[in-house]
Amino acid sequence: MFRATWRSLLARKLRLLLTAGSIVLGVGFVAGTYVLTDTMNAAFEELFARAASGADLVVRSRQAFEDIAAGPGTGATEERRPIPEALLEEIASVPGVEIAAGDVSGAASIVDPDSDEVLGGLGPPTIGTNWTALADAVLTVREGRPPDGPGEVAIDAGSARTGEIGIGDRVPILTGTGREVFEVVGILGFGPADNLGGATLAVFDTETAQRLLDKEGVYDTITVKAEEDVDPVALRAAIQARLPKGLETVSSTDVADENAQALREGLGFFRTALLVFAAVALFVGGFLILNTFSIIVAQRTRELALLRTLGATRAQVLGSVVVEAAIVGVLASAVGVGAGVGIAIGLRGLLGAFGIDLPTTAIQLEPRTVVVSIAVGLGVTILAAVLPARHAARVAPLQALRDTAAEASGSLARRALLGGAAALAGVGALAVGLFGSPSNPAVVVGVGAALTFAGVAVWSPFLARPVAGALGAPFERRSVPARLGRENARRNPRRTAATASALMIGLGLVSMVAILAASLKASLDEALRKTLKADLTLSTTSFTPFSPAVARRVAALPEVGAVGTFRQAGFKVDGDTSFLTGLDPSTVEAVTSLGVSAGSLADLRGDAIAVASDVATERGWSVGDRVPAAFPSVGERPLRIVAIYDEDRLVGDYVVPLETYEDLYVEQLDAFVLVRAAEGVATDEARRAVEAAVVGFPNVDVQDQAAFREKQAAFIDQLLGLVTALLMMAIVIALFGIVNTLGLSIYERTRELGLLRAVGMSRAQVRRMIRWEAVIIAVFGALLGLAVGIGFGWALRRALEPEGVTRLALPAAQLGAYLAAAALAGVLAAVWPARRASRLDVLASIAYE
Amino acid sequence: MTVAITRAAARAASVRKVYGRGDAAVEALRDVTVAFGEGEFTAIMGPSGSGKSTLLHCLAGLDRPTSGQVFIGDVDLTTLSDRALTDLRRDRVGFVFQAFNLIPTLSAEENITLPVDIAGRKVDRSWFDRIVDTVGLRDRLHHRPAELSGGQQQRVAAARALVSRPTIVFADEPTGNLDSRSGEELLGFLRSAVDEHGQTIVMVTHDARAASHADRVVFLADGDVVGEMREPTTERVLDHLKSLGA
Ligand SMILES: Nc1ncnc2c1ncn2[C@@H]1O[C@H](COP(=O)(O)OP(=O)(O)OP(=O)(O)O)[C@@H](O)[C@H]1O
Ligand SMILES: [Mg+2]
Repeated sequence: MFRATWRSLLARKLRLLLTAGSIVLGVGFVAGTYVLTDTMNAAFEELFARAASGADLVVRSRQAFEDIAAGPGTGATEERRPIPEALLEEIASVPGVEIAAGDVSGAASIVDPDSDEVLGGLGPPTIGTNWTALADAVLTVREGRPPDGPGEVAIDAGSARTGEIGIGDRVPILTGTGREVFEVVGILGFGPADNLGGATLAVFDTETAQRLLDKEGVYDTITVKAEEDVDPVALRAAIQARLPKGLETVSSTDVADENAQALREGLGFFRTALLVFAAVALFVGGFLILNTFSIIVAQRTRELALLRTLGATRAQVLGSVVVEAAIVGVLASAVGVGAGVGIAIGLRGLLGAFGIDLPTTAIQLEPRTVVVSIAVGLGVTILAAVLPARHAARVAPLQALRDTAAEASGSLARRALLGGAAALAGVGALAVGLFGSPSNPAVVVGVGAALTFAGVAVWSPFLARPVAGALGAPFERRSVPARLGRENARRNPRRTAATASALMIGLGLVSMVAILAASLKASLDEALRKTLKADLTLSTTSFTPFSPAVARRVAALPEVGAVGTFRQAGFKVDGDTSFLTGLDPSTVEAVTSLGVSAGSLADLRGDAIAVASDVATERGWSVGDRVPAAFPSVGERPLRIVAIYDEDRLVGDYVVPLETYEDLYVEQLDAFVLVRAAEGVATDEARRAVEAAVVGFPNVDVQDQAAFREKQAAFIDQLLGLVTALLMMAIVIALFGIVNTLGLSIYERTRELGLLRAVGMSRAQVRRMIRWEAVIIAVFGALLGLAVGIGFGWALRRALEPEGVTRLALPAAQLGAYLAAAALAGVLAAVWPARRASRLDVLASIAYE
Repeated sequence: MTVAITRAAARAASVRKVYGRGDAAVEALRDVTVAFGEGEFTAIMGPSGSGKSTLLHCLAGLDRPTSGQVFIGDVDLTTLSDRALTDLRRDRVGFVFQAFNLIPTLSAEENITLPVDIAGRKVDRSWFDRIVDTVGLRDRLHHRPAELSGGQQQRVAAARALVSRPTIVFADEPTGNLDSRSGEELLGFLRSAVDEHGQTIVMVTHDARAASHADRVVFLADGDVVGEMREPTTERVLDHLKSLGA
């Protein structure tokens, strides 16, 4: 029995290859995700370990909590009070301390002197810090020397390379305090790496760094190196004993572990996101395997029946199909793991293309990756093959005598019921996941979506015949190939439907994302139109915060009226992480309308806070109540509600006055600045003046309202692009499916094709006929996908209504383009099968039995 | 007994056909020279493996001879490109195979008009109607092949072979899968096509009764023409076959 299975596998190498293709891609994505994230993890851990190796202890102020939400775009995961400078001498004098060095760091962007553009800044941070006696444990001077003096800087080798900056060049640097030009005296590496995970680095002498980063007289941390043969644990206790309250001494390996841990969490999220895409790809792949095995079983009905007449039991027939699936699954998964390495590199490139640069080290292929990938690939293959295998086992011995290779067809009523039930259950789960409050909504939504897709797929054969007929109808009168292609698409609705369903899933998700993005844009646009009163907005390309010097300069202009400054950072309310916006209550009403529904912004002083109305409703707060707020550096700080507002699009859920914000946070950078032109000054004139004033800050864009709205839209489009690119994998797999089905169908219709050629159909006409079939299948799948995608998009939009997605937008042109692309993809998928069909030897086909 | 052939609708001149190479080479046709007169109904007979199908395929432009020449009318098929051969098959040659003659997704009518439709020409309606009435398929035109009996299917195939008014129709054991009544109906139809429309037909058959419907029988053995007979009757054909030792 096993020998028969093996033979049948070898006899159909090509089919094996095509079936395996979908698994290879799906498993490759899974493996690639692990390889990529493991590699990134390893790269960072290496760096952190290096950093820890040069020192023994770190003195720093305590944080009230460690899980700080990074503010929008800041990427900052630490928010510690600085330490007074004087403490350095005290620590240095502790017996056993060899070196104690004070460190400061903060945001500092290097400007490319040639293009006047900021280097880096998309994703990874732009860091400024000081050179200390312990710095060379982490940093290697590649060229030149360390900075020493007010006008000097050393930069990372990565920035030097991308900005083509060399020793002696003069580069402008932007920090919280403004823009200054420095002479490059050194190029630095992190051991063999050119930069720290894509971050840019500017290193100054300590005094300069303190001044630039607005940390005069203080340090962020003090790093200590113990004398040889001094016990670090004892030294730690000795140092800790001398520290004032609020400061702590930790070992540098603990700091490295903390950093690694934070990174692992970040990467974990990233990994989960990628694995979701991998799951989609595998889901689609599973469909194709199911379809392929169904066709194969149908084609082998006689062979299987013959085996049954010869005495093979049902279990043996079932086993032979499952074993075939298992062999395909293992082989394909193994190849998939190999492909995963390539996919990891490809993904890194893709993310790079979207501005997310990742560090590089040796590719990490861990045993866990191999085990998980092969288990998943094998599992999906066998699961998908079980259904066709059961059909195979049900083949009656007598069917060997019959001529037809009819696919074993379950009762239609059962199919309708099953499909309907699955779709209903799916929609139900979606509704619960989106609108109810299950403990794990993402999983419920995912399962719901999968069930819905499966239900529609089970149901779709009922639609295949009429839809394929309708699609082909306009063309069939004029051309025989079109007529035959259409009929071929209709002749086996289950096969057509199953093939189209694979494409439906990919296209359903892509169009859902498109609808969501369009709705987001429309809602955002509407909200901005309604709330934004400012004539001009100042923000950075990547929405990273920038120096308050910008706002100061703009405010000094005579062409400018009100200037609203906005800062944002993370904090906690009742233990839940949220964002806080600091703003100037005296100008805020001039630049935006918050729609205050209770209380007054005039009272926004001291320990006051304003809260968005939906949060207030949810938590049962009203004016006068206390918000139990906690901050990383200052700890618990209850704030009193003085106003409740409706428009939370621009400022988020919580607002405090700027003076309070300055008191609560160490880092003081502006997220965005809103500007009203002075009375009687045209917007254009004001813009020219503002542009001239901020010319030294190339990271800051000055935009009028329309341009600002466009920029927000562009940001969403970029995300849409990334997600769509990742979903392409599922679509590519679906195209494989069309190729596969057509290939198998052609094999089945060899005699028919021979006959057509014999009665005078040209090769080109044969190709056209296959192409029509492919296009009809593809468009059918795309239509199903659009229908499901529109449904999902609609539901998701409804579910996100409380988050401010108030409008539903159908990007008709885009969805139309997807449909056209699907048709084109059908043409593409038909290339190989069509060529194969047209090359069939006429006589051999006729003689074919 | 020499009957002057006015003109040949198709002929083979010194046709050799070798399958395979070296030790495995099979010489299916050895130096066959034969002509088929216009408006004549010829049957080809011979033992199994004698090369009947091979000859038919070479004549019809479905296969290329290893050497020698094949003519349909004045056209030398051995000089034609694949594309030109395809067009020739479509426009000037009709076929009826033993089985699997029809496209299952098309109705009987669509199967009949297939060669004309492929060529993108208009169907000659009066000619179509005459054929359909002769084969007696009027009430079956909108049925799919799966809904037709074997005999009806073969008649549809025969109608398709005639629809483009080809120079010549080839049929390879068209009655092989039919009971005797259906076979007779089909043969009667082919005969009438010759008698009423002057159609040229070449038919391979194993059945002496079928051969008796033809004007002439050509006998093949071991890839060679080994004799022929005019105005055959069942008995004479059987006698001749016996003398060939088949
Ligand atoms: N494609 C092929 N490859 C190799 N040999 C072939 C091929 N086709 C036919 N032959 C051989 O050529 C010879 C003639 O075959 P052909 O099919 O013409 O015989 P036939 O007279 O039609 O026989 P039958 O009455 O059984 O149909 C046979 O020996 C056959 O085995
Ligand atoms: Mg034969």
